Amino acid sequence: MKKQTIQSIFSLCVLLLLSACGGGGDAVDPDDRPRILVTVGMLTDVVREIAGDAARVEGLMGEGVDPHSFHPAASDVRRIQGADMIFYVGHHLEGRLQGTFVSLAKRDRKVAAMGEKLDSEHLLLDEDGNIDPHLWMDVSLWIEISGHVRDQLTAWLPESAETFATNHDAWVAQLEALDREIQDIIATIPVESRILITAHDAFGYFGRRYEVEVMGIQGLSTESEAGLRHLNRLVDLIVAQNIPAVFVESSVADRNVRALVEGAASRGHAVVIGGELFSDAMGAPGTPEGTYPGMIRHNARTIANALGGEEL
Amino acid sequence: MSAVSPLRIDDLTVAYHRKPVLWDIDFSANPGSLTGILGPNGAGKSTLIKACLGLIPKASGRVLFFGQPYETVRERVGYVPQRETVDWDFPVDALDVVCMGLYGRIGWLRRVRRDHKLKAMEALEQVGMADFAHRQIRQLSGGQQQRVFLARALVQDADLYFMDEPFAGVDAATEHAIIEMLRSLRSQGRNILVVHHDLQTVPAYFDQVMLINTRVVAAGPTAEVFNNENLRKTYGGRLTLLDQATHALARRDQPGEPLEHI
Amino acid sequence: MLAEFIDLFDSHNTRVVLTGVTLLGVCSGVIGVFLLLRRRSLMADATSHATLPGIALAFLVQPAFGFAPRFLPGLLLGALIAGLLGMWTIQAIQKVGRIREDAAMGIVLSVFYGFGICLLGIIQTLEQGGASGLKGFIFGKTASMLASDAQLISVSALLVILMVFVFYKEWILLCFDDDFAGSQGWPVTFLDGLLMGAVVVVTVIGLQAVGLILMIALLVVPPAAARFWTDRMSRLLLLSGLFGGGGAFVGAMISASEADLPAGAVIVLSQGVFFVISMFFGRRRGLLGKVVRHQALGWTVRKQHVLRTFYEAFEDKGVTPNLERARLSFETLLKARSWTRFRLGIMLWHMKWSGWVYRHPDGTWGLTRDGWPRAARLVRNHRLWELFLIHYAEIAPAQVDRGADRIEHVLDPAVVDELERLLKETDRGVPMSPHPIPWGEGI
Repeated sequence: MKKQTIQSIFSLCVLLLLSACGGGGDAVDPDDRPRILVTVGMLTDVVREIAGDAARVEGLMGEGVDPHSFHPAASDVRRIQGADMIFYVGHHLEGRLQGTFVSLAKRDRKVAAMGEKLDSEHLLLDEDGNIDPHLWMDVSLWIEISGHVRDQLTAWLPESAETFATNHDAWVAQLEALDREIQDIIATIPVESRILITAHDAFGYFGRRYEVEVMGIQGLSTESEAGLRHLNRLVDLIVAQNIPAVFVESSVADRNVRALVEGAASRGHAVVIGGELFSDAMGAPGTPEGTYPGMIRHNARTIANALGGEEL
Repeated sequence: MSAVSPLRIDDLTVAYHRKPVLWDIDFSANPGSLTGILGPNGAGKSTLIKACLGLIPKASGRVLFFGQPYETVRERVGYVPQRETVDWDFPVDALDVVCMGLYGRIGWLRRVRRDHKLKAMEALEQVGMADFAHRQIRQLSGGQQQRVFLARALVQDADLYFMDEPFAGVDAATEHAIIEMLRSLRSQGRNILVVHHDLQTVPAYFDQVMLINTRVVAAGPTAEVFNNENLRKTYGGRLTLLDQATHALARRDQPGEPLEHI
Repeated sequence: MLAEFIDLFDSHNTRVVLTGVTLLGVCSGVIGVFLLLRRRSLMADATSHATLPGIALAFLVQPAFGFAPRFLPGLLLGALIAGLLGMWTIQAIQKVGRIREDAAMGIVLSVFYGFGICLLGIIQTLEQGGASGLKGFIFGKTASMLASDAQLISVSALLVILMVFVFYKEWILLCFDDDFAGSQGWPVTFLDGLLMGAVVVVTVIGLQAVGLILMIALLVVPPAAARFWTDRMSRLLLLSGLFGGGGAFVGAMISASEADLPAGAVIVLSQGVFFVISMFFGRRRGLLGKVVRHQALGWTVRKQHVLRTFYEAFEDKGVTPNLERARLSFETLLKARSWTRFRLGIMLWHMKWSGWVYRHPDGTWGLTRDGWPRAARLVRNHRLWELFLIHYAEIAPAQVDRGADRIEHVLDPAVVDELERLLKETDRGVPMSPHPIPWGEGI
């Protein structure tokens, strides 16, 4: 707790310093729409879809960036400082930035933690009582978040309320179709094979919604260290349950997963790396995986493919 | 021995960061001589030795050993560094240290063998340290440590020795033993250059002296060169202080004849 | 508990990790000895920090050569180059800039590391992803060690240990007396470079296991611990390797069997425990040994005092006096020195047990036939020393135990003869005390 306070104070100091330096130097910007900054790509997508043309929406973290260990560079700090509104997920997903956002909110900046708007009954906790922040893995929760995004945008920009409502409805319809599609894809996997082992504990909500048992080598945050004991247990499990594949994540180093594969191989069990999943960050912009629905669809198909289901 | 000078220094200059430490040193040692190198602190005595041995770069000048550059006659030159320059806490015993004098002859990739150890043991006996061969060097007194260093030089079996303050901080018995050893080395036709501090013993110990203070003040046979005028030029105003100090420490009726008049 | 341990060995991952870290511990312990003796321990810390920009640059550059950014051999090569560059820079700025070694190391450590952190920041903002693997180099990721990593460690460890065998005497000479080495024509710069190169190699292969922050511990702690146990170089190397490997093994074991603790830190902690144990119980220089030796010395000195007291009381009665009559009462002995009744009692009984003194039925004490020559020898040595000190006060050798060290061992035979000749005033073989013995008359 103390560490976070210090970090947020430090971040604030950096912010104030930079804003003091760069104060009057900005050129006149022809685009006078409000600038909205969103942390992770999955949420950026939601905000962009709902805001439509009423605002400029920018993502803070790029493709393949791990939000848990994200260090804001000076340019990032300037963007945070220059944004009119900030959306983030919260529940410590953004690691170090969380403290900064909380302090900014206290200073009456328009900063909203969308993940923290959800009812606690929806949330998953790990053994130590930490909230799992990887909410987008459950499309139905993301639909709910979309509603909160609409409400928040309406509150801040009431003049565009109608646009937001229209955009929201279209977007939610798309997500509802996606939710059903994922359920169908996962349903093709034999029930006994529905065990998903990934680099870190990012798929808890996915597992709950689509009825897959999930396990991560590292904990909720990629900053935690994988212990040898945990690794050994997972190898035992892979061998005992005859699990055919494990998965790497785009934003997490693959060493742990490879160690797992090696461990299983030494026991005569050939487990393969089933593919790369997008957990904390989306794919490259312009590709199908560069959008939220594309990313979720890619994950479901990759999992189904490797665990003996069909891609549909 | 050849008539060529065992050590000939021409126009040697050494500088640290543009500040000259030694300036235009010219010197030639007589064959079979025991030479004292004298000068105040910071006069460049140790630097002179190190420059001769190529341990620090020369700004200019030439040093010849037996008429040849150092690299080709390295085995004929021995060196006893100042005792304080090494870590006496080092995990080796006296015999190991003496064996180091043989490393050059043993060469790359080879181990120290039994005959090397026997040779080292002989050298330790010569300096009266055979009983201490297997003592860790930290457990030796200052004089004993100096004797070990001397033994290490002895096994080198060199024709020219440089010794940097071998008499510093040793007891009278060791000083006596060392000078006897140096004399016997000289009588075998070897050449020894000794950095020395105690002016009182100079006439008794050395047949040649070299007085330096950045440059050579005087060099030659002790009887001709070692006089008050040259000393004053070398030590400047510090000589009186030095005089007082040496008189206060005087422990013999006559210099150079220790232990006979107790 | 035991069954759990045996179970652990069944796991491939555990075996890989244990093999890897143990070999790493052994070779860093061995090479660390030379580092310690060359007084360059902090240099290893500077170089391990200096590897970070190399890793980051390799990550950035590798795609241009057609490798994956995380291609490990490339990253390690980058680390190696940067580490060597850091080491070279330390020496260069010392020479050119007239900056002291500690400052030079501080500069290189912080600037290189800072540059590395900056590069990590840049990598994060680049839209190519996958940066988080690099963090593992800072704190280490032991648990996920792969068989190929362990193989790399094994090969490097064997290489380093082979180097120690090959350059054993050269490196000892280098560390002990580099001036002398240079005067003998050994290529000091080359040998130094070789040694430091070996250190950098060990550092680089250890990065993945314990991380660059803790790597220094593996190089410094085992040799420092081993130093408490021995004064011999060969044993020091052996022990240091043993402590290094043992600490790493135990640490990895604890991290594997108990809570999910980061293995790198636990390894360093276990080696730290070895160090603390050594500091207290080390045979050669441990604190406990020091206390015991000090007590033992006190005991010996007091026993010598008792013997001398007897001797000095009866020395004018002949070479071997009538031992039957040469007895002293407890009270007389008590007055002779400032010892307590209790302590004197214990000493007398102990010496009686040793056969040096006997107790007469009337309660007085006397020397035995064994004790008398012992006392005579002791007093002779003591007096020779005393006289030597009176005549040569300013030049006395340091660190001499005047009772135990036979004077002939420390002084030149000529001096001893001289002393004997000058000081032998009686024909009893023991010179008279040069100062009056205050209580001697009163017996």
